[in-house]
Amino acid sequence: MDDNSSVAGIQNNGMASSDALLSRVGHLTRTLHDSLSALGLDKTIQEAAQDMPDVTDRLNYVVEMTEKAAQRVLNATDMAIPLQERITVGASSLLNLWESFSQSPFNEQAYREKMEATMCFLRETVADSDASKRQLMDIMMAQDFQDLTGQVIRKIIQLAHNLEVQLLQMLLDYAPLEIKRETNAGLLNGPQINPQNKEDIVSDQGQVDDLLSSLGF
Amino acid sequence: MADQNLKFLVVDDFSTMRRIVRNLLKELGYSNADEAEDGVIALAKLRNEHFDFVVSDWNMPNMDGLVLLQNIRADAALASLPVLMVTAEAKKENIIAAAQAGANGYIVKPFTAATLDEKLVKIFEKLGMK
Repeated sequence: MDDNSSVAGIQNNGMASSDALLSRVGHLTRTLHDSLSALGLDKTIQEAAQDMPDVTDRLNYVVEMTEKAAQRVLNATDMAIPLQERITVGASSLLNLWESFSQSPFNEQAYREKMEATMCFLRETVADSDASKRQLMDIMMAQDFQDLTGQVIRKIIQLAHNLEVQLLQMLLDYAPLEIKRETNAGLLNGPQINPQNKEDIVSDQGQVDDLLSSLGF
Repeated sequence: MADQNLKFLVVDDFSTMRRIVRNLLKELGYSNADEAEDGVIALAKLRNEHFDFVVSDWNMPNMDGLVLLQNIRADAALASLPVLMVTAEAKKENIIAAAQAGANGYIVKPFTAATLDEKLVKIFEKLGMK
């Protein structure tokens, strides 16, 4: 048998099982739809479905706001860093000038030159410090996204919670008994997000050790 | 410019926003400010200490900014306290509700330092506080 025919065989199998899957999903959907309508739950599901595009918009808003804030902060630092560098360079070179001046005999001409240079530097520094401060204020204002995205994210958390409650109720109402048992038996639950609120979860290594020693290990 | 010693109460449930508003007020020359994280805490502070000006968010847990404003206006000792709303609620009905409840100004977030300055000056002028 060549490679091509075995590939074709696998594809055929795949198609057959996907047909079966589709038909099962179809049946399940119909049963679900009938049960939901009978219970009046279809309205709730409809509302949840309507909330979904809204959630996408809200999350996009969060992405946009955080990106804008990050750009604004990076732009401000791009502007402010050269100003700060100019102040450092100017101050060190003036310091060198005055140091060498103080070590040589007094010369009024040289003194006047250095005084001119110093005044010029101070004028520049006043302007540069003002400009840096404006950038710092801008960095502060860029943080205003946090309040806005925070409000949006809280709304999405609320929505996700509502959906979870509704779906869980549906599962509890309609799952066959053996599936209900299976859902409780899983051991691959991964890290616990809120261990403090659950009685059957340990929240630190001390509790792990206590449990083990209470079992005689 | 109004008296630099005016005492402000900044009410917002997000600490970042409280810090931003306080820093802006400081930049405008008003460094005497305190904070509250919701309407309940704000009302308690207003009843226990003297404040000259309230800058409040709208959407907060426990007591929102509108209810806080209504409580301030209903309390004889606080009724004339200037209240500036700084909020993300941008619907017309919100702005109308705030105005009807007696807000002295309304700023929609995100806002700039210039906007805050402008609204403060306007309120000071109206109330003859400058």
